Amino acid sequence: MKKLFQSSSLVLMAACALAPVAAYAADNPIRGNIRVVIGSTSTGGDTYQAAAIITEALAKKIDTNIKVDAVGFSAGYQALERVPSGNTLMIFHDQAYLGYLYGQKGYEDPFAKWNIGPSFAINPGNGYLVSKNSPYKNMDEILNAAGNGKTVRVAIQPGGVSEIGYTAMKNAVRLAYPGQEDNLVALNTGSQSDKNQALFDGLADVINGSVQANEQYTRLPADDQKAMDFVWLTAKASTIGQANPNGMGETSRDQLMQYASGLGVNIPMDADSDFTFDKEFFFLYNKRMSPEAIKFLDNALAEVFADGEVQETLKKSFFIPNFRTSAEAQQHLKAKSDSYAKIINSLHK
Amino acid sequence: MEFLELLSPAFFLLAAAGAIIGIVFGAIPGMTATMAVAVCLPLTYTLGLQEGLALLLGLYVGGISGGLVPAILLNIPGTPSSITTTFDGYPMAQRGEAERALKICIVASLVGGIFSALVLFFFAPVLADFAIKFSYVEKFLMIFFALTVIASLSKNIVMGVFSGLLGVLLSLIGSYDVSDGGNGEYRLMLPFMEPYLAFGFSLLPVLIGLFGISTIIEEAEKGAKESSQEDKVNLTKGKPFRFSVFKGQVGNLLRSSSIGTFIGMLPGIGGSAASILAYTQQKNLSKQPHKMGTGEPEGLVASESANNGLTGGALIPLLSLGIPGDSTTAVLIGAFTLQGLQVGPLFIGENIDTWYSMITALMFANVVMFVVMFYAIRYIAKVVLIPKFILYPIIVMMCTVGAYAINYGIMFDVWTLFIFGVAGWIFTKIGIEVAPLVIGFILGGSAEVYFVKSLESYGEYTVLFTKSPIAMVLWGLIVLSIVVSFMIHKKSKQHSGESK
Amino acid sequence: MFDWFISLNSVTIDFDTSHQFFPRIIMTLLLVLGSLILLANIRPVWRAIRSGRYQFFVRNADFFRLLVTLVLIPVYFWSMDAIGEVLPNMGLGFLLASIPFVFLMSMLYCHERTRRNITIITANAVIAPTVVWGVLYHLFLVSMP
Repeated sequence: MKKLFQSSSLVLMAACALAPVAAYAADNPIRGNIRVVIGSTSTGGDTYQAAAIITEALAKKIDTNIKVDAVGFSAGYQALERVPSGNTLMIFHDQAYLGYLYGQKGYEDPFAKWNIGPSFAINPGNGYLVSKNSPYKNMDEILNAAGNGKTVRVAIQPGGVSEIGYTAMKNAVRLAYPGQEDNLVALNTGSQSDKNQALFDGLADVINGSVQANEQYTRLPADDQKAMDFVWLTAKASTIGQANPNGMGETSRDQLMQYASGLGVNIPMDADSDFTFDKEFFFLYNKRMSPEAIKFLDNALAEVFADGEVQETLKKSFFIPNFRTSAEAQQHLKAKSDSYAKIINSLHK
Repeated sequence: MEFLELLSPAFFLLAAAGAIIGIVFGAIPGMTATMAVAVCLPLTYTLGLQEGLALLLGLYVGGISGGLVPAILLNIPGTPSSITTTFDGYPMAQRGEAERALKICIVASLVGGIFSALVLFFFAPVLADFAIKFSYVEKFLMIFFALTVIASLSKNIVMGVFSGLLGVLLSLIGSYDVSDGGNGEYRLMLPFMEPYLAFGFSLLPVLIGLFGISTIIEEAEKGAKESSQEDKVNLTKGKPFRFSVFKGQVGNLLRSSSIGTFIGMLPGIGGSAASILAYTQQKNLSKQPHKMGTGEPEGLVASESANNGLTGGALIPLLSLGIPGDSTTAVLIGAFTLQGLQVGPLFIGENIDTWYSMITALMFANVVMFVVMFYAIRYIAKVVLIPKFILYPIIVMMCTVGAYAINYGIMFDVWTLFIFGVAGWIFTKIGIEVAPLVIGFILGGSAEVYFVKSLESYGEYTVLFTKSPIAMVLWGLIVLSIVVSFMIHKKSKQHSGESK
Repeated sequence: MFDWFISLNSVTIDFDTSHQFFPRIIMTLLLVLGSLILLANIRPVWRAIRSGRYQFFVRNADFFRLLVTLVLIPVYFWSMDAIGEVLPNMGLGFLLASIPFVFLMSMLYCHERTRRNITIITANAVIAPTVVWGVLYHLFLVSMP
């Protein structure tokens, strides 16, 4: 502890000497600039956007420079592991534990390996689509077709957020038609462009997509090869219900609600509950990060949310603001992870 | 013409500023157009939509164009897509024709940029519908077609192909990436490498390592001697630039611009394939193919008009499908979402004013790029006069900055620079050809994905030939390209035989 | 017979092992080509090496400059990372490692160490990294160690 104090005071001295522009909130236990690495390598994606919005608000609150670096999960984990001082933080989403549950290379159990930090936003856009001239009009038809021996191909990116809804579909077929779940076949593709292309080429019957990326396709006339329809949005109806009433593009919130889990579409998780999936963004901390720093960031973010401004910014970009302190987030996400682990394992033979 | 009201002086100022900053980023070895757009993205948050886009489009055009400067003067491609510019540009610079080479490239860039902006403006929706006819199979064939340049580019055809395949193999190290539809499993590496190489070697550090750092190691081996006095003044010794050099190049200009635009339009092929493919085509059709690679203007014209043709092309799927055509437009998408604007098949119709102002910004940025570079070139070309003992440390330093920043701060990318610097130095000594290797490396990853996915989804080999009329046409081109490159090799052997 | 031809055409790729499919093809091709090259060239190459016509290093190679370059660059990379760890997120790893590196490398490559040249080298070693750091790190927020 003493050593840590010494080195941090050394850092402080150096920082004061060399970077006089930075000023600090008096009680900030994290000295110096903060680097936030994210689990995605894209600066055009939702993780970067959510991280940019929250870190901007946080930086203002604690009067520190925060920079978001889209290094991807692998390099992000390495960077996080090296720096226990709180100068490097990570922002990621449910992929952190889903990657582990699906046995993807490079993922470890995040609950054992890291401290789970506060969660702050949900992207409610994850969903599934069919072509407009598809024989399937809704989820029931898809599940029944698979249950009755018809092969249904679903284009997903394997091993995470994109696959979890597919796993739930498979699980639903298993519950209603035991033994028939293998009629639902995954077509493993990558980017959204590849998934769309698989639908255009007739290689897939259903594709994973999102409200943000696919809404305009649902408004194309039916004779357009590119026209699609939503069949399911994995987010809870109550989550989508918090979005701006105008929804996305020309599709209103109420229209989107028709596809939401638990309202328009019911995919069973087990005998008594429905499957839902909210893609949540949260912080990950180094395991050795001090409790003071954790508490400090918890409080700072709580204040950011109490101010109420960040919620508006998030909503403007089709995120649902949703703040949980580290302890709450840890508990919530662990429970979520455990429930998904059950269905993933039940499909393993 | 309501959109005219949206065009403030600030709009033009930002587009111009973007083009200039972009040129600087592109011209620094290791800094790319993508990086320029990425670092300026947060700035657009405070600007309005039109102004923000003007800045970013300016950066895009400038960044792609700036890459030609180090390619010609230092033999280091400033951005991956200017790799083919080094083939003829650097030999010209060594002959004392740096200024001429630079000017040829700038004119070609302007033509490519304007051409693609016009194509974007008039044909975007139609072309987007054509682009989605390219499934895994056709995309694989496009890449295969681009790979055939290896055959014509290599000095010794067997060694060249070997080097190209080695490049492909190097690009496969790491995981079979899930974001490309792979299974995420590691291959071709030992367990201790896993933390660093989970996603393989990054393209840019490999490129500047092979071209930049290895050159410096070579020079060190030779003693880093300064060139003698008479060599030094040779900046003006070579042929001066005249517009007449473009006589007979109109076909080349149009073809290469079209190839650039077209490759840009196909998501997943990657921007660097554009100039590679245009260069292949020019070599196949050239009257004196054996001379290409020794400092011929036609090579520069093909390479540079194609990589600026990319700009408009890559915006086609972005604006009419909501899908980025290359890595830079993938970052641009962030600007739209930051402004709360949704891109997709209905974008143009719903945002007609923004659409017009984007085209305006694109055209304007191209013109600014041309004017600025054409008149600044005289001073830029003086870089070659800086003594080596000042220039080399700075090159290493800038390459380091670029390698570290390309993936937003990964130290291993910097080490990649050194690994490939040493490797490149050794390669040339044992007969492995660097240019084919780099092309294999650039195209290897997507070749794998589209090849494996074609077979995986269709379950038969013949689909590669019979998938569609487009596939058959592409096969025709591939065969033609291979035959022609063999003929070129035969001819150049005869030539060298005669001269002996 | 016809069926047999058809079966030749069909291919199933197991997704779980699909990461090996393409690398194996490439490695096979490399092996075939590699052995071809070896068979065709081994004798002349061997002769050239034995007779001293082929040499790995260039004639009159400057081993001192070569060796120091090969040491200096890794030391530079290592030190910027190490400094960046102690003084995180300020780009100081880059700045504090680059100044001595640029200076040393310039001195190494400079053949006439006149007073004038040394002044230029020193000024350049201080100014260039500082300008890069100031402009790229602070103005454009480019990541630096």
